[in-house]
Amino acid sequence: MSTRKLREICATAPSLVWLTAFLLVPTLMVLTFAFKKADPMGGIGTEWTFATLRSLANPSYPAIIWRTIWQSLATTAICVAVSIPMAYYMARTGERTRRFLMVLTILPFWTCFILRVFAWMSLLHPHGIVKNILVALGMADPSSQLLYTSGAVLLVMVYNHLPFAILPIYASAEKFDYQLLEAAADLGATRATAVMRVFIPGIKAGIFAAILMVLIPALGEYVIPDMVGGPASEMIGNKIAQRVQNDRNLPHACALSAALMLFVMGPMVAYLFARRKGGKEGGRFSI
Amino acid sequence: MGEFLEFQGVSKRFGPVKAVNNVSFSVKRGEFFSLLGPSGCGKTTLLRLIAGFEQPDSGRILLDGQDITQLPPNHRNVNTVFQNYALFPHMTVFENIAFGLRVARRPKDEIEHEVMSMLKLVQMEDKAWHLPSQISGGQKQRVAIARALVNKPSVLLLDEPLAALDLKLRQRMLLELDLIHDQVGITFLYVTHDQGEAMSLSDRIAVMHSGVTEQIATPAEVYEAPKTSFVASFIGDTNFFDGIVSSVPDDDYCLVDIPDFADIEGFNGVLCYNDKKKAVGGRVNLSVRPEKFGISIDPPRRQFAHMNVLRAKVEDIIYTGNHTNYWVSVGSRRIAVYQQHAGYLLDEKPIRWGDDVWLYWNADNGYMLDDEAAPDPGLGDNVKGV
Amino acid sequence: MTRTSRIPLATTIAILLFFYIPIAILVVNSFNASSTGGAWGGWTLKWYQKLFANEEMWHAIRNSLVIGVTSTLVSTAIGTSAAFALYKYSGTRIQKVHGVVLYMPLVVPEILMGISLLMIFMAVRLPLGLFAIFLAHVTFSMSYVAMVVLSRLQDFDATLIEAAQDLGADAWLTARKILLPLISPGIVAGALLAFTLSVDDFVITFFVSGPGSTTLPVQVYSMIKHSRNLPIINALSTLMMVATFVIVLTSQRQSRRA
Repeated sequence: MSTRKLREICATAPSLVWLTAFLLVPTLMVLTFAFKKADPMGGIGTEWTFATLRSLANPSYPAIIWRTIWQSLATTAICVAVSIPMAYYMARTGERTRRFLMVLTILPFWTCFILRVFAWMSLLHPHGIVKNILVALGMADPSSQLLYTSGAVLLVMVYNHLPFAILPIYASAEKFDYQLLEAAADLGATRATAVMRVFIPGIKAGIFAAILMVLIPALGEYVIPDMVGGPASEMIGNKIAQRVQNDRNLPHACALSAALMLFVMGPMVAYLFARRKGGKEGGRFSI
Repeated sequence: MGEFLEFQGVSKRFGPVKAVNNVSFSVKRGEFFSLLGPSGCGKTTLLRLIAGFEQPDSGRILLDGQDITQLPPNHRNVNTVFQNYALFPHMTVFENIAFGLRVARRPKDEIEHEVMSMLKLVQMEDKAWHLPSQISGGQKQRVAIARALVNKPSVLLLDEPLAALDLKLRQRMLLELDLIHDQVGITFLYVTHDQGEAMSLSDRIAVMHSGVTEQIATPAEVYEAPKTSFVASFIGDTNFFDGIVSSVPDDDYCLVDIPDFADIEGFNGVLCYNDKKKAVGGRVNLSVRPEKFGISIDPPRRQFAHMNVLRAKVEDIIYTGNHTNYWVSVGSRRIAVYQQHAGYLLDEKPIRWGDDVWLYWNADNGYMLDDEAAPDPGLGDNVKGV
Repeated sequence: MTRTSRIPLATTIAILLFFYIPIAILVVNSFNASSTGGAWGGWTLKWYQKLFANEEMWHAIRNSLVIGVTSTLVSTAIGTSAAFALYKYSGTRIQKVHGVVLYMPLVVPEILMGISLLMIFMAVRLPLGLFAIFLAHVTFSMSYVAMVVLSRLQDFDATLIEAAQDLGADAWLTARKILLPLISPGIVAGALLAFTLSVDDFVITFFVSGPGSTTLPVQVYSMIKHSRNLPIINALSTLMMVATFVIVLTSQRQSRRA
């Protein structure tokens, strides 16, 4: 073996071995445990079975899966839609403002995630300030519920994922050649047409990256529906956590996790496919 | 002055590509030597082999009689001026220049003195405490040169050092480089794809193509007596003519039948200076520079002992101020002709588009190339640099 | 365009208000004597006093710091080494696999990592607790460190290494005088990110924490879930935000100067 090869192995081994032991192998274990029976002590049994997988057909699960998908898609759509104008503004404004906006966008997200969710809980609380203002304005009934609804879940999910849409879209918007918009106007396009047919296609790499960076964590969301949602807004993540924490049915949790993995793979594969098709431009996004 | 830097059968491959293919030549002490060629010709690889960033697959490199082939870069007494300057961004101009001396653990006051005198040489004394990001491209260039020169290398390697500068600055740095070379008197090995830079600076030029040296000669020789069709077309513009020797009237000249001219009435061959001693039936690839042709409306006087005269038709005229470029058709050929506006032309009728003209040249100005077939038949059509 | 649209600016302002209003209200409420926070009940510092007197909270903060510091040290070392391997040997078969594996923690939802880690720890009979949390945190943060360092390395001009060698420096001197000074901001940024991720993480920690190994987010979560001492969480949030804002702003200023 050449010294170069030896050095490469020395530099690569720590991360590769670690991630194999704590990421790849455990993921495979989760996939296989979906075919095992639970043991009464709350562990994994030794017998193989399809029963766990079959129980996912239980009518309550398709509803939850469906809800998981649409809540994630709605979050993604809202995040991307509002990020585009902000990214446009950031890209076209002066260097100082741009930097300032960048810091302002990232800053709240250096604070603790749980505390950010908590901030919304106290805002939406039955005795919280939003409710009080809405009631005072006559826009809400004193008995109406803001917290523990699907609306609350969506709102807080958007709140938490928005920067992950703004940053990649901004990264693309910054590289966009804005003379193209002038060229479009010169050729008779209205502003809306220019934006739809020139600007948005021009930043599509950023939009794809944003979709991926919002949709995937959103599909696995669990804390937000757990804290601000009610029983009618539970997602797959909640079910997995409940199977682990409350009923201690690990094979069941594993089967749900396997299903979630499939959903996550969907957008990933679509993204990789789109990237291959669309060439390499702007495909790589960094954190 | 003997051979100072010597290449002996040096080859280097990158995967399937032979970047440098069995190259042998030598550079004299104190010489300004250029490696000239298009991108990918192997000139930069050759430079990196001398610097020690690459190891040759075979062959040896000798510096002042010592074999340096296996020596790591930090043990070679050569220094490089990088194309993008490669100044350390976290160090001041002074610290950049002092780096090599500090590495060599030279005494502090000596470093101070050496760096300062170098800064003076490149006229950068007032920028000593600036960071590379705070100075202009031309200034970075000077710092890069100073940083290399301060170590008193046996050979200074310059990798396209002017490529990143704009035209005006490039012309000024060209003069300064020449001046610096005269002042320090060390061997310069200069890599460039710009024939103008190479011609104006070098004592000798090695023209490289596809990993081999096509010709090594002085700038004038390379231009006036190119050895191969590549050299002839890469340096300046030229017309190629393919033909077969039809007769050898005397020791020095031969008559060449050119198929492209076959349908010209009364054409009986082009007279060539026969330095390759070709016999009847031998293939000839002839290069004639556009400015070597004469062109006139009236039949030309017999100016030279061995003159070729042909009828031609003017197809294009481009006036460029100090000269005029014509494209004329002769037989099935287009030929480029560059004419200076010398006084005698004023007496003649002006040449216009579509005119039938006389085309003539001294047989001594046609050069037989080493390779027997021109790489492209389009001759006058592919003349560059209008 | 003759008239610039107001939509981009309006959206930007709306988004910033959306980001900061909840935080602002949280801060204000930390000084609000009313415990529900829906109306103003007068100024008070009693929540801060209660916070400082809360033993459980301090215990959780201590755990978070211990795990944050140790996992940052380990993940920075491994992540930096991984980034160097990806950069220096890019294109080899090992690095292609390495790159994909290193990318996975960035895209796998946290809950899947949480349950996977729980499974492996149970399989090898590793007791859930601080050590398990440490292993889990290193697992996800090393990838972030590697990506940050790698992006710094990719901006790094490799000819600088050659230039240093050309001027006579050996490998060690080149690493110390050229590579390290130019890469270290990336390593520091990676470490800072790793520390923040570790201190912030709830989901994965929740799966692998055991009795007595509560970290700060887990502690806060359980207080919220059981509606215990909610106003002191406002006080805690305020203090943590001030701390992070100061750190982020100084590091921004630092990086701008560099």
